[in-house]
Amino acid sequence: MAQVAVAHDPHGHVADTNTGISNRKLLMWVFLASDCLFFGSFIATYLVYRNESTIGPYPNEVLDIPVTSISTFVLLMSSLAMVLALNYTQRNRAGLARFWLLSVAALGLVFLGFQVVEFTTFVKEDLTIHRNLFGTTFFILTGFHGLHVFLGVLWLLGMAFAHFKGALTSRSSEDLEIAGLYWHFVDIVWIVIFTVIYLIGFSDGEGLETVGHAASAIGG
Amino acid sequence: MNPRRFLPQARPRIAFLIPVVPVILAACNKGDAQSTFGTNGPIADTQADLFIFIFWIAAVVFVLVEGALIYSVIRFRRRGNDDGSLPAQIHGNNKLEVIWTIVPVIILAAIAVPTIITIYDQDGPPSDQGPVLDVTVRAHQWWWEVEYPGEDVVTANEIHIPVGQWVNFTLHSDDVLHSFWVPKLAGKLDIIPGDVRELAMRADDAGFYFGQCAEFCGEAHAKMRFRVKADEPEEFQAWLDSMRRPPVELVSSDAIAGETLYAQNCSSCHSNNTWQGPNARNERTRLAGLRTAFLGDIEGTVVYPAPNLTHFGTRETLGAGLIELNQANLEKWIADPDDVKEGNRMKDLATPYRNRSLSTDDVRQLAAYLLELKPVAADAVIDTDDGATGGSAVERGAAVFTANGCSGCHSTGDTRIVGPGLAGLSSRGDDAYIRESITAPNAVIVEGYPPSVMPSTFGTTLPPDQIDDLIAYLKSL
Amino acid sequence: MTTIAFPTLISRPTSYTGLWSWIGTVDHKRIGTLYGVTAFLYFLVGGIEALIIRGQLAQADNDLVSPEVFNQLFTMHGTTMVFLVVMPMSAAFFNWMVPLMIGARDVAFPRLNAFSYWSFLFGSIFLNLSFFLGGAPDAGWFGYANLTGSTYSPGDGVTFWALGLSILGVASLAASFNFVVTILNMRAPGMSLMKMPVFIWMALVTSVLMALAMPVIAVALVQLALDRVWDTNFFNPLAGGDPVLWQHLFWLFGHPEVYILILPAMGIVSEVLPVYSRKPLFGYPAVVFAGAVIGFMGWFVWSHHMFTVGLGPAANSAFAISTMLIAVPTGVKIFNWVGTIYGGKLRLDTSMLFSLGFIAMFIIGGLSGVTHASPPTDAQQQDTYYIVAHFHYVLFGGAILGLFAGGYYWWPKMTGKRLGETLGKWHFWVMLIGFNITFGPMHWLGLNGMPRRIATYAEDLGWETSNAIASAGAMLIAIGVLIFIINVIRTIRSTQEAEDDPWDGRTLEWSIPSPPPVYNFAVVPQVKSLDDFWYQKHPELLHDERGEHADSTEHAAEEAHTGGSIHLPGMSYYPFIVALGMTLGVAGFMEVYVEIPGTGGQFPWLSAIGIVIGMFGIMGWTFEPVSEEGGH
Repeated sequence: MAQVAVAHDPHGHVADTNTGISNRKLLMWVFLASDCLFFGSFIATYLVYRNESTIGPYPNEVLDIPVTSISTFVLLMSSLAMVLALNYTQRNRAGLARFWLLSVAALGLVFLGFQVVEFTTFVKEDLTIHRNLFGTTFFILTGFHGLHVFLGVLWLLGMAFAHFKGALTSRSSEDLEIAGLYWHFVDIVWIVIFTVIYLIGFSDGEGLETVGHAASAIGG
Repeated sequence: MNPRRFLPQARPRIAFLIPVVPVILAACNKGDAQSTFGTNGPIADTQADLFIFIFWIAAVVFVLVEGALIYSVIRFRRRGNDDGSLPAQIHGNNKLEVIWTIVPVIILAAIAVPTIITIYDQDGPPSDQGPVLDVTVRAHQWWWEVEYPGEDVVTANEIHIPVGQWVNFTLHSDDVLHSFWVPKLAGKLDIIPGDVRELAMRADDAGFYFGQCAEFCGEAHAKMRFRVKADEPEEFQAWLDSMRRPPVELVSSDAIAGETLYAQNCSSCHSNNTWQGPNARNERTRLAGLRTAFLGDIEGTVVYPAPNLTHFGTRETLGAGLIELNQANLEKWIADPDDVKEGNRMKDLATPYRNRSLSTDDVRQLAAYLLELKPVAADAVIDTDDGATGGSAVERGAAVFTANGCSGCHSTGDTRIVGPGLAGLSSRGDDAYIRESITAPNAVIVEGYPPSVMPSTFGTTLPPDQIDDLIAYLKSL
Repeated sequence: MTTIAFPTLISRPTSYTGLWSWIGTVDHKRIGTLYGVTAFLYFLVGGIEALIIRGQLAQADNDLVSPEVFNQLFTMHGTTMVFLVVMPMSAAFFNWMVPLMIGARDVAFPRLNAFSYWSFLFGSIFLNLSFFLGGAPDAGWFGYANLTGSTYSPGDGVTFWALGLSILGVASLAASFNFVVTILNMRAPGMSLMKMPVFIWMALVTSVLMALAMPVIAVALVQLALDRVWDTNFFNPLAGGDPVLWQHLFWLFGHPEVYILILPAMGIVSEVLPVYSRKPLFGYPAVVFAGAVIGFMGWFVWSHHMFTVGLGPAANSAFAISTMLIAVPTGVKIFNWVGTIYGGKLRLDTSMLFSLGFIAMFIIGGLSGVTHASPPTDAQQQDTYYIVAHFHYVLFGGAILGLFAGGYYWWPKMTGKRLGETLGKWHFWVMLIGFNITFGPMHWLGLNGMPRRIATYAEDLGWETSNAIASAGAMLIAIGVLIFIINVIRTIRSTQEAEDDPWDGRTLEWSIPSPPPVYNFAVVPQVKSLDDFWYQKHPELLHDERGEHADSTEHAAEEAHTGGSIHLPGMSYYPFIVALGMTLGVAGFMEVYVEIPGTGGQFPWLSAIGIVIGMFGIMGWTFEPVSEEGGH
């Protein structure tokens, strides 16, 4: 085998693909399709268990919509920053690109900060993953999303590092574009989660009826 | 591919027929107790008929397609004199594609129509075929509790139903998923903890039908069986009445000795006095106990209910439809339940097994007692005197203590069994405290003891004078 | 592109032989071999489990094993055969054949490919370690809640199961992403989608199904693991949790999974039949379309696993109809296969026999499937041995026979030697007969009322004869496997070398040497038609037949852009390291803690080690160039 001239490709660059989309970008698209099913399953679980808790605290007792609306706005703005960061990278405007890239990461961190505060408040109000179905489904769904944001922030910081090292330029801007795909996806998913948990999740008293139902099912 | 062309040519490639052979060998016996054929009720009849209908369609398709396959293999295998030329290079035929897409659709539609009609027909008992008997079944790992709502009758593992009347089973689970299945009467329905399922069926012939849990439910799943006894309506009514009459006087000395042993060793989990009314039983479910613990956010306690043994001697099987009920089998069961049904909870949990306190004689006497648990005849004089009326309050209280199985969990000394030892009880609280501990045991739980273990029903099952006697006795310890 | 200077963490493996060359390999062929060997070893493990099960059930009231052990055995038999045998064996063929059949030099992401294998290996080892660490999982391969909750399954077995399958899920996801990208992006010039071999089509459909179905089970498994370890309430009825949700999630994954298991075998058979019939596949577009339709409709039939759950007549009717409909494209495939051999000149070599056996057995499994697509009849058959018989006809008679067909077919290409034909035919007939003796009687057992998953049965039920026959058949299957092993050993020892194209093949892998060189294709092929290699050998056929082939491929090779040099990715240890770190990190979730002195807190040391190793691996992976600059 070694006799054949096996030269190594210095860039690991694959020539033209059948689809015209690079392998790595296509990989990201396939991953996102798969991730849809991850989030879809968690969101479906949350919806199936909505108003099924047998004991409080219930969503209407703990959720703070105004505060979470602010953090949602922060995350939405991070997507705007992402667009700008990519735009300036492609146009080789390094300073602006770096500024916006760091802004994305910073806004992501702010969002995570909001989440940490929210979780801490809930635990103080006796809502834990163990306490009831709402706690279980809420913490795991939003926590799973938070994990995505956290990994995204790490990735963006890595990108920023590469940018400062001069490794991320208009020629390799696809690296940033792929990270951007991920970031926008995580952002869009949050819109769905925000809607499902905070906007349509409210209904006073239904949870209490469920207690009676469950009790009769178990006792009867 | 004309079928007539290949039939005479098809030489037996027996391998393809092998699946059929053992079936024939096994001598399809409709009489086998758990067979889904030779059914005895309209639900199972229809299900079997529908299966046979689909089976014959499938059989025809099987013969045609396998036939075409085998024919092609034999007809087009390469011969020894092959000249090496290529066969005709056919790429496909659109007309054929359409045909073999449409034809299966038509066949499947022929199956789908009766299927869907049957699904809706079998959704609940028919409203125009007389009154429906309600039976509540609660599945436990690994036995069945049976209750006749409104009839004050509770039993286990043998379900009596009347012939010719629709029965609606309301199915509960006390722990995990189970599935209620009596093949001769109806297909199965799963039982979901925390939810309720209903399954209607009717037996058209008297008989002792085999049932079995059909959803994997843990270690002893294989032995979670039961029986349905379909009686003629008048027999069924007689049985129902008999379950509300007191038991006959014990005859043998073994049985009389066994009664005391039962009270000391068995009665804290098993009830055998439901003939007095539904309140007489220890109505505890594991799920309810766990739920109390969950909602109270406290450590869960394990409360295991046990099969009701009222008029046990009238049953025909033992261990959830496992073996015939007789003295030898019952002794075997009591001596070592795991030997008969590995995994069952009795040996792990019951005090006499933990302490190994049952002698061979005890086992024999217990078995004799249980086998003599039969209702008195319908015309017999009912003697409600249970022997606890004479003597002093302390003596009467001691009888109450024994009869209600208090000794199963409480020693009269200082030893802790499940509950605290009761020696020197009078120094721990006044009459009111003791009374509360008997009637509402969860009101005050002494540190270190689990809640929701002691039945909270003594306040209703025991008459007030017996509670007074019991308190007098307890204070004397 | 400027690369970031970063210290080389671990020097890249350089040798092409020895243990380290296997650990560091990113060659799709070597990874395929690793998958195949591992899957076959697990096939033996799962087979031994099955033999013990059959031994226990050979007679009534038997006590060869306790119910506790029996439950572990059937749980691990199912889990092993599905996740550790059929899926990785399919992955072995994907790895070997996808690049070769589409004319590529490797998969799109060679290091990700290696990561898939190592995750699979570590996950499977982790799962099987449970046998030695307090007992294997015993709640069934379907793991129905709430029996799997810590109240009812207090040991560690089910946690091993949930976490082990999660790791395997990561492996499957990574592999599926890789193959989707490879097939969509890396086909040889001219190979449009409808010129791809059917096997590649089935690999694509399977990979898409995996990419979309594995997340569903992964979520369910995470929920289960959290319920057990962190006391969450997903499937806890006390908190209002619904055990039926598990069933929905499991089967929403589980039914596409059935097609993940069977479609690769269908793809293999679709390759083998035309070659041995010396005729093109009958109705190629129909077969491809049927496969894609099966993959799509497979998402809408899951509740037929739950006909007896009591979902109501409307749900049962809807799922009955969708289930019956999915029989249509399945039937289309079978009819087209029969059409392929009809009028051919059949060489009944071992691979062909296995393919024909596949069709014959799959027909039986498919038809018995139709009988319980009807909920009223399924009410009697669900959870009985009738179902056991049905899915073994589909998954053993189908998937396993199909994979053996692929093994005999591609063995010369993969190893340069042909498996013995005489022993091969013995292997086929013994296995086929044994298979039917084992699983045929189970149809009757189920109809005769024998439930699944029972550790023993009483003698008064009329089940003894059929069970004894089934157990005897299982021995015959074991003998069949033994013959195969002997055949493999004899083949490895023989010195007779296979030709490059021993079967007069149709697809691109037969155009290169056996075994293929590390770079696969010295010249990237130019594809003009379906079965391009066949028409290169038989150019006259192009003129006889469809006009579209009229422009001959004779000069294709000259037109190819040879590009001067061949670019190959360098070897790497990092996939191995990342997979190891991930497995340790997940394993630490099994409450492997150490007390932190003075605080009362607990430190999950094993997870911490795993995360450190994993992070180290990811860093190294990120900064390691795909290949060394300048070469050697």
